[in-house]
Amino acid sequence: MSRPRRRLAATAVLLPAVMLAAGCAGAPATTAPATQAAPPSPALNTSLDTAAGTWAAVVMGGSAAQDNNFWQLFIRPAGSTRWKLVTPPGTADNGGLVLAGDGPALVTGFRPSQDLTYTPLIQTSDGGQAWSSLNPLDAALASTPDALAAKPGSGQLLALLNGGSAEEAAPGVVTWSTLASQQVLAATPAGRRCGLRALTAAAFTPAGIPVLAGSCTRPGTAGIFTAGNGTWQATGPVIPAALAGQDITVSRLTRTAQGMTALLQAGSGPAASLLAAWSADGSHWTLSPPLPLHSGALTTASFGPGTTAAIITSANRGQITAGAGSAWLPLPPLPPDTATLAPGPGGAADALAVRGGTLTVWQHDPDGTTWTKIQVINVPIPYGSSS
Amino acid sequence: MPGMNSGLNISDPTVVAAFKAALVHQGLIALLIFALVGLAWITIRAGLPAAVGAGAGPAPQAAAVAEPAWRRLLRVGFGLIWVFDGILQAQPKMAVGLPSQVIEPAAASSPPWVQHVVNWAGTTWSYHPMQAGASAVWIQVGIGIWLIVAARGPLSRLAGLVSVGWGLVVWVFGESFGGIFAPGLTWLFGAPGAALVYAVAGALIALPERAWRSRRLGQLTTAGTGLFLIGMAVLQAWPGRGFWQGISHGQPGTLAGMTGSMAQTPQPGFLSGWVNAFTTFDEAHGFAVNLFVVAALAVTGAVFLSGRPRLIGPVLIGFSVLCLADWVLIEDLGFLGGLGTDPNSMIPMVLLTAAGYLAVARAPAKAAEPASSPAAAASWRDRLRIAAAPATLASASIGSVAAIGAIGVIILGAAPMAAAQASPVADTILAQAIDGTSTPLDSPAPPFSLTDQHGRDVTLASLRGKVVLLTFLDPVCTTDCPLEAQEFRQAGQLLGADSRRVELVAIVANPVDYQLGYTQAFDRQEGLDGVPNWLFLTGSPAQLARVWRDYGIAAEIAPAGSMIAHSENAFVIDQQGHLRQEMGFDPGPGTAATQSSFAAELTDAAQQLLRQS
Repeated sequence: MSRPRRRLAATAVLLPAVMLAAGCAGAPATTAPATQAAPPSPALNTSLDTAAGTWAAVVMGGSAAQDNNFWQLFIRPAGSTRWKLVTPPGTADNGGLVLAGDGPALVTGFRPSQDLTYTPLIQTSDGGQAWSSLNPLDAALASTPDALAAKPGSGQLLALLNGGSAEEAAPGVVTWSTLASQQVLAATPAGRRCGLRALTAAAFTPAGIPVLAGSCTRPGTAGIFTAGNGTWQATGPVIPAALAGQDITVSRLTRTAQGMTALLQAGSGPAASLLAAWSADGSHWTLSPPLPLHSGALTTASFGPGTTAAIITSANRGQITAGAGSAWLPLPPLPPDTATLAPGPGGAADALAVRGGTLTVWQHDPDGTTWTKIQVINVPIPYGSSS
Repeated sequence: MPGMNSGLNISDPTVVAAFKAALVHQGLIALLIFALVGLAWITIRAGLPAAVGAGAGPAPQAAAVAEPAWRRLLRVGFGLIWVFDGILQAQPKMAVGLPSQVIEPAAASSPPWVQHVVNWAGTTWSYHPMQAGASAVWIQVGIGIWLIVAARGPLSRLAGLVSVGWGLVVWVFGESFGGIFAPGLTWLFGAPGAALVYAVAGALIALPERAWRSRRLGQLTTAGTGLFLIGMAVLQAWPGRGFWQGISHGQPGTLAGMTGSMAQTPQPGFLSGWVNAFTTFDEAHGFAVNLFVVAALAVTGAVFLSGRPRLIGPVLIGFSVLCLADWVLIEDLGFLGGLGTDPNSMIPMVLLTAAGYLAVARAPAKAAEPASSPAAAASWRDRLRIAAAPATLASASIGSVAAIGAIGVIILGAAPMAAAQASPVADTILAQAIDGTSTPLDSPAPPFSLTDQHGRDVTLASLRGKVVLLTFLDPVCTTDCPLEAQEFRQAGQLLGADSRRVELVAIVANPVDYQLGYTQAFDRQEGLDGVPNWLFLTGSPAQLARVWRDYGIAAEIAPAGSMIAHSENAFVIDQQGHLRQEMGFDPGPGTAATQSSFAAELTDAAQQLLRQS
C-alpha cells in the first residue's frame, strides 16, 4: 500500500470511529450527593411593627418572567384596620425590599436586580406618604429579611451584604464601613465555638449595639454575636438539652418595641424544629417550646406588636406566638395564596394573600376558627417595565 | 453564547433593506467583473491572433487523460450545489438570522470548546451582518461557478482546493463540526455535516491528473464511504440513544421527535404533511424503521467496502432512493423556512457515492496526444509571468476566462468581510435598525449649570471647545441606562486620542435618586469612575426639571415598584455649543453587537464634527 493510499485508508477508518465515539458521548453524568447545608433563609415577604403602624412587604405580579415580579410595601397605620399601598418610588424593586424600622420611621433597601449592583436606600417618617433617598449602599444587600437594621433614633444603619460581610453607616449615611465579615467573625473565639458557617441577620440591641447572627456547625449552639470591647461576644440563648445535638440556624433576628426576637431552626429533616427566643437586652433569652416542623422549613416570619410573632411553614401552616416563652399556637388553615402574616394585638392576625396584582387581606380574631376577608387592594403592577 | 446574537428581529426591515441593496450593488459589480474579463479576453484575442492560433491553454497541455465521468459529476454537481447555497444565503432573513437561528442552535448541544470556536464566527457575523451575509452569497456563488466552468488544469484543481477550504469553514463555524461532537448524531439527520462532504468532493477534484488514471482512487472512495456507512449503522443501532423507540415514556422517540419539530418549520403544506405522516409512522413502528435503516446502512457499507462494481451498481440505486427518501421525509429538504443554508447532506452523499461508483466502474478514457507547441509546452508557472499574461489570456479557453471572473466574484465577497473582520466595531446599521437614523439639528444647545460626580460645578459653557456627547441616565435604572453608559464608555475608547476633544456627559434622569452618592455609585458600577472625559451631572430637582424640559426629556415616577420612565435620547453638541444631532438612544436588546454599534454611531458623530473643525 502506497503512503497516500495508506493515509486515505486510515482516514476512512478513523472518521467513522471518531463519529461513533462522539455520537456515543453525552450520557447523563451521575450527580454527586448534596452536602448538608443550612436551611434556606425565609422569604423577604414579611411584616414588622413600628410606631407608625404595621408594615408588610410582599412580592406581587407573578407572571412567567421573573423580572415582572415587583415587591410592594403596604402599611396598616397604627389604630387602623385598613391597609394601603405605599411602595417607595423611583427605583425598580424586582430584587426585593428589605425593611428596617427606626421608631416611627422606616428605612427601605432595594435589593439590586438585573444590571444594578448596588443598593438604593430610601426613608419615610410619615407612614409612607413622602420618601427621601439616603446615600446608597455600594454593594448588594443579602437576600434575607433581616439584612438591614436601623439604630433607633440615631440614623445609624447596619447592613448584611451578599458576600457575607456586615457594613455600618454612621448617622446621615454618608459613608459605609465594614463592621465584620463571616470569615473574621468565624475566626474569633466566639465564632470558633459556634463553627460559624454563614451570617443570616443583623440587628441592634435595645442599647444600640450591633448584633450579627448566623448558622453554626457546632451542634446546640445558637450563633448570635454582639460587638463589644474590640471583639465579638457570643450572646445567643442556651439551647435546651433535647436539641443539643442539632445544628442551629438563626433564621430571623429583629429588634422589637420590647427588646429582641429571634427565630431559631434546629436540625433538619424529620427532626427539624423551630424555637422563638425573646430578650429584653440582647443577652438574656427566653425560649418558646420547640415547634416540630415535620421535615418542613420556615418560609416567612413576621413580627407584630409587643413580642408577637407569626410564621408560615413550607407545609403552608400558620402558627402564632404571643411572645416571651409562649407556645406556638396553630392558626386556622390559611387562605389561599397567603404570602405573609401580620400579627396584631391580642393574638389577632391578618393574612395577606397575593394573586397577580391583587392583595386580599384576611383577618382572624383570636377566638375565631376562620378567616374573614376584610379588604382587597388592586395594585397596578408595571408588567414589562423592567424587562 | 455571548456575542452571537445581535438581538435584532431577523426580519428587521432596516437591515433587510440594506442587505438587499448591498446584494444588488455587489451583483452589478459581479456582472461588471465578468464583462470586463470577457472584454479583455476578446480584445487581446483580437490583438494577438498568433497566441490564439497556438492553442495554448490548460486543456491541450494536460490532454493526455480526458476528464473522467466521476470527476465531471463531482465538479458540476457540487458546483451547482455551491451556487444554490449561495442563492439561499441571499434570503432576506439571513443577514440577521443566521447566527442566532442557525449557527447558535446548531452549536447548542456541542461541548463548550466547540461553542467557543463557533461563537467567534457568530459574533463576527452579528457585528457585520450585511458584509457577512453578502460575502457568503458571493463566495459560494463564485466557488460554484468556478467549479462548473473550470473543467481542466490548475484552475480547476484550485477550485477544488478553494471548495475544500470554504467547505471546512462552513463545516466548523456554520455546522459546529457537523454536530459530530454533540449527542444524538445520526446519518439520518446529516452527520457528519453536508459541508464536510463538500470538502471531501473538493479534495477529490483537486487531485492531480495522474490520480485519475486508475481505479484505485475510486476503490478508496467507495471503501471509505463504505466504512463510514458501517460506522453510521453501528451508531444508529447503539442502544440507549432513542432511535429504536417510536415513542418513549409518552414522548416521541429521538427520530420522531426530530421530524416532528422539522414539520413545524415554514414550508409547503404537502411537504409538512409528508413529514408528519412519516413521524406518525415512526411513532407507530419505531423499531422497524430503525432496523431498516441500520440494515440498509450496513449492507450498503459492506457492498461499498467490497469494491465490486457489479454489486455496487444496484446497491447504489437503492441507497440513492434511501437518501432521497431521507432528504424529503426526515431532512425536510433542508433549505426551506427562510433560513435554510443548503439542501443538507443527502444530495451531496448521493453525488459522492455515485462518483465513487463511476470511478470504480469506468476506466478513464485516453485522449489523443496534443500537437506539440511552444505554448503548450510552457509550464503554468511560466504562463503566469506578467510578461506572458496577454498571451496567456489570449490563449485561454472561455471556461478559464469565466473562472477568472468567478475568482473575482469570490474576492468581491471576501474582501469586505475581511475588512469588516479587521474592525472590532459593529456596523452602525444595528443601531439604526433599533432607533432609526439621527435627526440633524442646528440650534444653540440649552444651557445648564449642574454638579458633576466629584461635586464640581459644570456648565455647558465650560465645555465650549469640545464636542459634547450628551444623554440622560437614571442612576438606579436596572436595564437600559447601564447599557447606555457602556455605549458611551465604548465610544470614549473608540475615540482614542480624539477623546481629549470630546466630553461624554450624562445628566441624571431621576427626580428621587439624584444625590451625588447615586452618580458616584453608578460610575463605580459601570467602571466609569476612571474615565477622564466622563461627567455624570446632577442638581436639585428644580435644576434637573429645567434641563429635562429644555432638552425635551420626560422623567416620570412610575407606580408600584417600577423604575423611572424617562426618554432615551442622545445629543451631539459641537465645539461652539450648537446642537447638531439628536439620536434615539433606546439600546434595544443590549447585546454586545448593538452596544458596539451605538458606540460606533456616537464615535462617528463626534469625529465628523472634529474633522470639520
